[in-house]
Amino acid sequence: MRTPRALRPLVESLATVALGLVAGGVLVWAFGHSPVAAYRALAVGAFGTREDLLETLAFATPLMLTALTFAVGVRAGLFNIGAEGQMYLGAVGATFVAGMVPLPPGVHLVAATVAGMLAGAAWALIPGVLKAWRGAHEVISTIMCNWIALHLSMYLAIHFLAEPGRAERTVPALPTARYPVLSEESTLTAVLFVAVGFALVVYAYLWGTRAGYELRLAGENPEAARYAGVRPERVVVLSFVLGGLAAGLAGASQVIGRPPAWSLYATLGNVTTLGFDGIGVALVGRNHPVGGILAAVLFGALAQGGRLMEYEVGVLSELVRALNGIIVFAMAVPELWGMLRRRLSR
Amino acid sequence: MGEGTPRVQMRGIHKVYPDGTAALRGVDFHLYPGEVVALLGENGAGKTTLMKVLSGLLRPTRGDVLVDGRPVHFHNPVDALRRGIGMVHQVFTLVPPFTALQNVLLGQEGAGLLRPLPEEQARARVQQLLEETGLEVPLDVPVESLPVGVQQRVEICKTLYRGTSVLILDEPTSALAPVEVDDFFRFLRRLRDRGTSIVLITHKLREVLEVTDRVVVLRQGLVAGELPTASATPERLAELMVGALSTLRVARAPRSPGQPVLAVRGLRVRDDQGRLAVQDLSFEVREGEVFGVAGVEGNGQSELVQALTGLRRPEAGEIWLAGERVPSLDPLSLYRRGLAHVPEDKARFGLALGFDLVENSILGRQREPQFVGWFGRLRGPVILRYTQELVRRFRVVAPDLTTPVRSLSGGNQQRLLVGREISKEPRLVVAMHPTRGLDVASTVYIRELLVQMRDAGKAVLLVSADLDEVLELSDRIAVMYGGRFLGQGPVEEFRRETVGLLMGGVVPEGVHADAARPPSPR
Repeated sequence: MRTPRALRPLVESLATVALGLVAGGVLVWAFGHSPVAAYRALAVGAFGTREDLLETLAFATPLMLTALTFAVGVRAGLFNIGAEGQMYLGAVGATFVAGMVPLPPGVHLVAATVAGMLAGAAWALIPGVLKAWRGAHEVISTIMCNWIALHLSMYLAIHFLAEPGRAERTVPALPTARYPVLSEESTLTAVLFVAVGFALVVYAYLWGTRAGYELRLAGENPEAARYAGVRPERVVVLSFVLGGLAAGLAGASQVIGRPPAWSLYATLGNVTTLGFDGIGVALVGRNHPVGGILAAVLFGALAQGGRLMEYEVGVLSELVRALNGIIVFAMAVPELWGMLRRRLSR
Repeated sequence: MGEGTPRVQMRGIHKVYPDGTAALRGVDFHLYPGEVVALLGENGAGKTTLMKVLSGLLRPTRGDVLVDGRPVHFHNPVDALRRGIGMVHQVFTLVPPFTALQNVLLGQEGAGLLRPLPEEQARARVQQLLEETGLEVPLDVPVESLPVGVQQRVEICKTLYRGTSVLILDEPTSALAPVEVDDFFRFLRRLRDRGTSIVLITHKLREVLEVTDRVVVLRQGLVAGELPTASATPERLAELMVGALSTLRVARAPRSPGQPVLAVRGLRVRDDQGRLAVQDLSFEVREGEVFGVAGVEGNGQSELVQALTGLRRPEAGEIWLAGERVPSLDPLSLYRRGLAHVPEDKARFGLALGFDLVENSILGRQREPQFVGWFGRLRGPVILRYTQELVRRFRVVAPDLTTPVRSLSGGNQQRLLVGREISKEPRLVVAMHPTRGLDVASTVYIRELLVQMRDAGKAVLLVSADLDEVLELSDRIAVMYGGRFLGQGPVEEFRRETVGLLMGGVVPEGVHADAARPPSPR
């Protein structure tokens, strides 16, 4: 009895995926390519071989975490689009501990991971505190924090974390602070398990604990939350901290969990846009931690499979991106629609 | 007056809302030029609905509207304005940062996309209008910095500027301080003398008698009576307004109350606009009694209940619950001391509509030790069993427990809510409009539950705009008007007509009113 309703969002999402695929197919066809061949290449590129599949998962890893940042915000009634900046700071924090603080094996990996998460959470606290006690709108403050984070992180990367003699990237993570690579042919590391684990922990927290219940209640009906004795400031801060931990882990995962660089580029080129992409992933995943994992794999598949589509069918890379955009947009519609409806009905 | 063709005629107006509520059940209404008519009635009598039909905001389900003897079919308020009919609502439609003049001109600019506003020509015309009507409005101040009473004048000016000769005012004096009311009435008379017809929607008897020519009383969607103001008395109007006792009876055995559970001393509470909504209120609710607060909505009841339940900070005064003074803005500590709260708007405060029955069954109880395990983990199986018990005991009809409560009927939502609150084993139940909008079966059931709580020795504070409900369930009652209790005492001491008078702000001879007391020194 329980399953049909619980599965409805999944069915809706799958239906819109199909719609998006059809719309994208029309676009590819309009540019003179065979949609069938293009999609075949996409699927083969993403899942064709074991290595392709692992690479898809490597792409998915940071996205499921930045999606979590946005999703936790939405569940608390917030529009936290600060994952991008929080993720930068997470990458910086992880780089510092991984590259410059020698520690024993095991401990070092944990310390670097935790440092990244805490750095992300600390950065998230700024808009969180501003919102909770000063009422500053989180959209404005997180956008501003994203820009500050961008320049702050580049500055830190160039001036304090740079590898001597190399301007383009920071010191690499010491071998003791690197997640084990799962397969030599792909860039997937064991950080995937940490990401999935963290998403599941957040899921259990939101749906299984009193604090999680209060957070979701504040998002669902702020006045009822007041009636239930929930302090809104606490919920705001908690949701920003949770989101910041996730974003920080996402940033860390690209430094200590992604070969071949094992470091942060001075331009932040190996992490930029992962935070923003997470918003789309969260929408497709219906702002649910588990949905976010699945949606992130889908996004990973589009990124990984798109390469083969370009190479094999000759679809221009711009068109590949447009196609991905259409599919993502179609998939995000049900959740966007639901969020809009909830806002309007208030 | 009273001769020739009426300016407006409404015949056999029915209005059934999409949710099935019959707000109007065949109402006739007419209005002559230069006439001030009061539309009097309790909450939900259909006053506002009738005037929304006339002003084009609602379309009647059945019935005819005639203007100057010709049938009309308004599709929107603009259609009505074209025929000279304009309504000023309780909630204003002003743009806060715009000046009064800009607000008056809004939608009437006569400017193209790139042409500048002809503000200066319009200014002269607005000024002339103000002089003719004696309305005082500072034209160049942003309306957000004007007091509410002046904002209302801007709103009226805006309506008149559009050439309105039938002006409908919905509870206009509720936004005004007592001194402003006299000015306002002078303005209305002047407007009438210019030939404008005015409909005054109100529940205040004094206003009716002071400023109107004719009174139409609505009750439950029907015209209960119509008479010239000259021949009206407060008693007659109150009687028409409240009608005869309804037939939904709940058995209530006599019972002698015990110790006070709730004690309120000198409570003052401000509303969202900063006006004093509750003024130096003192009362007690004792074990084993229902204390009923009657009154027309908007007389401070919401603010009173919110202050008592920890949702609004009182400005002054003390609230004692079970012998302890309670802190403000801390609902949880009140719950721990034995408060159960059935809020006025269940969808707004008492339930999270997107959550399922299980989640809603612990709303406000989510911190009780029985539901929380180690590390703040919610004890799922315990909560599930408790929800099943609630649903069974309070006969909540739902497809299953994981249904969002949004898809439950209002009656079932309220059963779940009341059940949750009652199962707390409280000392004090505060219930506001507990049966509003519910089906008959749920209404009777919830009233019975409240009486059962009383019989079990709990203190029950019932605040309701439904006079029948208050009179039937209460052992003692008070009538709230303008933030004070007019009259407070055992229910047997109040005749129905007396309560009707008090609800309209008229204190009959021989009734002790709190308001008559000199303010306590502080």
